[in-house]
Amino acid sequence: MTENSKDTIIKTIDITKVYRIGNIKVNALRGVDLEIKRGEFVAIMGPSGSGKSTLMNIIGCLDTPTSGKYFLSGIDISKIGDNELAGIRNKEVGFVFQTFNLLSRTNIYGNVELPMIYSKDRVTNKRKKVLDAIESVGLSDWIKHRPSELSGGEKQRVAIARALVNQPSIILADEPTGNLDSRTGEEIMLIFQKLNNEGKTIILVTHELDIARHTHKIIYLRDGVIHGEEEVANRLSAEEELKDMPRLEERLTEKHVI
Amino acid sequence: MKRLLENIKIAFQALFLNKLRSFLTMLGIIIGVGAVVAMLSIGAGAQQSIIQSVQGIGSNLIIITPGNPEEEQNLGAQFVFSGQQAKLKAGDLQAIEREATLITGAAPVVFSSSIISYSNNSGQSTVYASTENGRELYNMNVEEGKFYSKSDVSNASNVAVIGQTVIDKLFGKIDPIGKIIKIDGKNFKVVGTLEARGTDTFGNDQDDFISIPVTTAQNKLYGLDSYNMILAQSISEEEIDEASEEIESILRRYRGIRFGENEDFSVRNQTQILDVISTITNIFTVVIAGIAGISLLVGGIGIMNIMLVSVTERTREIGIRKAIGAKNRDILIQFLVESIVLSITGGIVGILFAVLIAVLLSNFTVLDTSVTILPIIIALSFSTVVGLFFGIYPAMRAARLNPIDALRYE
Repeated sequence: MTENSKDTIIKTIDITKVYRIGNIKVNALRGVDLEIKRGEFVAIMGPSGSGKSTLMNIIGCLDTPTSGKYFLSGIDISKIGDNELAGIRNKEVGFVFQTFNLLSRTNIYGNVELPMIYSKDRVTNKRKKVLDAIESVGLSDWIKHRPSELSGGEKQRVAIARALVNQPSIILADEPTGNLDSRTGEEIMLIFQKLNNEGKTIILVTHELDIARHTHKIIYLRDGVIHGEEEVANRLSAEEELKDMPRLEERLTEKHVI
Repeated sequence: MKRLLENIKIAFQALFLNKLRSFLTMLGIIIGVGAVVAMLSIGAGAQQSIIQSVQGIGSNLIIITPGNPEEEQNLGAQFVFSGQQAKLKAGDLQAIEREATLITGAAPVVFSSSIISYSNNSGQSTVYASTENGRELYNMNVEEGKFYSKSDVSNASNVAVIGQTVIDKLFGKIDPIGKIIKIDGKNFKVVGTLEARGTDTFGNDQDDFISIPVTTAQNKLYGLDSYNMILAQSISEEEIDEASEEIESILRRYRGIRFGENEDFSVRNQTQILDVISTITNIFTVVIAGIAGISLLVGGIGIMNIMLVSVTERTREIGIRKAIGAKNRDILIQFLVESIVLSITGGIVGILFAVLIAVLLSNFTVLDTSVTILPIIIALSFSTVVGLFFGIYPAMRAARLNPIDALRYE
């Protein structure tokens, strides 16, 4: 183990990723060194084609680097097989996607429960844990409903609950506000800030600076390498921002609150 | 175990979501399993009732007929009055009765179709002429009155015992005992009636006959000096083949057939006849079951087809599940369970369908059916195997999907 510090949760050493599309080699990542500490809230920014999706996939254990090393919670991820990778995703990573990616035929409870179904360890108090996760995003009244009955913001909150339920080491959010209006996006950021205050490590991939400014640190990625890193000086508070925003959602959600 | 239940639940949810599609997919299996079970039931029922009707004639019977079956290719020819040299006469019967040790008795049979009448009623029935020994061999049980006696046979008396159908035809409600009936114009006194025996497998009425002493039939009715056949009864089921061989050698000796020459008579027993019948019904059953099996195969291909469609449709779902931590094995099992649930459900519906058909057939047609547990077990396990076999490829395709590509799939 080359774990430098107990606080380091993600450490990549010179990782590269080469795709082959036919005969053409695409160097999506060309040597990325990254270190993220426990409890940090980091944004990864970059234009499309910068390799941020590739980096995201590797950090999220959906993919392995072509070369270099990646440690997640001290485990060397670079060289392990598909099934072990699935186990690590289940235990260590909570995903939040731009397009929510909920199971449309399963109700909210079932969606949030999903990571537990695939959990290797015996889960005790399963029902309570699921309900707690749903409550933490404020959707307790909706557990029997299908995703199609929810608004975009509510769907994303279900996705966050699902990401939380197995108590993962990191939460990985890929453009979580990309499909939402600005107020709803702000509400999602409020949840992330709250979770971060409770000690969760959150990595956010976005191309919106306004969203990235809610985090502690912004990492700029360009052409497959880290272009720059910057501590966020005056962090935006979602709570403050929301006060100044028109409550567009209210009218839309009224129909749910019969 | 819990994971398996979860998978079965997911499978039913997925199948219920596309009710029509699931039903159409299952239809192949339903028809296949239904056909297998129904056909095997009909085959088993037919075999049982044929065996019953063959045994109903009497038990452990050995049948001696004139003419060599190998020379006279036509089986029916043996029952026709055969050529001069081949006739079975009283001497043959006496030789058998005298020398055979493995039989309980022997009786001659002369049969012919005759016109019968009583007062104004008349009709046609089969006359089975025999001796007093024929009663037991032919399973004729007297209901009222008595069977004709040994002295009736030696005196060639004009007496008759009649079956239930004949009673209905000639007498209706009148008590037939002691009445005089005409058989081909000659007067006969009814001395007894016989218990009903019902119809055989081929729909023949086994009660539409009259029995009279064989001597009367030969001398007074048909002018014969021979028999159509001789029946003998072996002392036990195990010794029926030896008894047949014994009779064969007695008759060869009596009829002076030299070594190497073909017999001009044939000796067969019920066991052999039953063997032939079961061979025929078994072939019938196997052929039909084979055809039904092919429809199961086609049903299986239908399942594979629809599972492949389902995997493609649910690529994104597979991606989500994998991103969240489902291993290849989890996805494989999920889709395998789904195809097995599909085929087992089809199998169960097919079995219910077949049982329904079998019950309807035996209640509303002359066909007898017999639903046994074995074809049900076979059909059910076969449909499970079909689901497993044709589910593996689609499930493997699903399991091998790359989560990143699957998540991006629109």
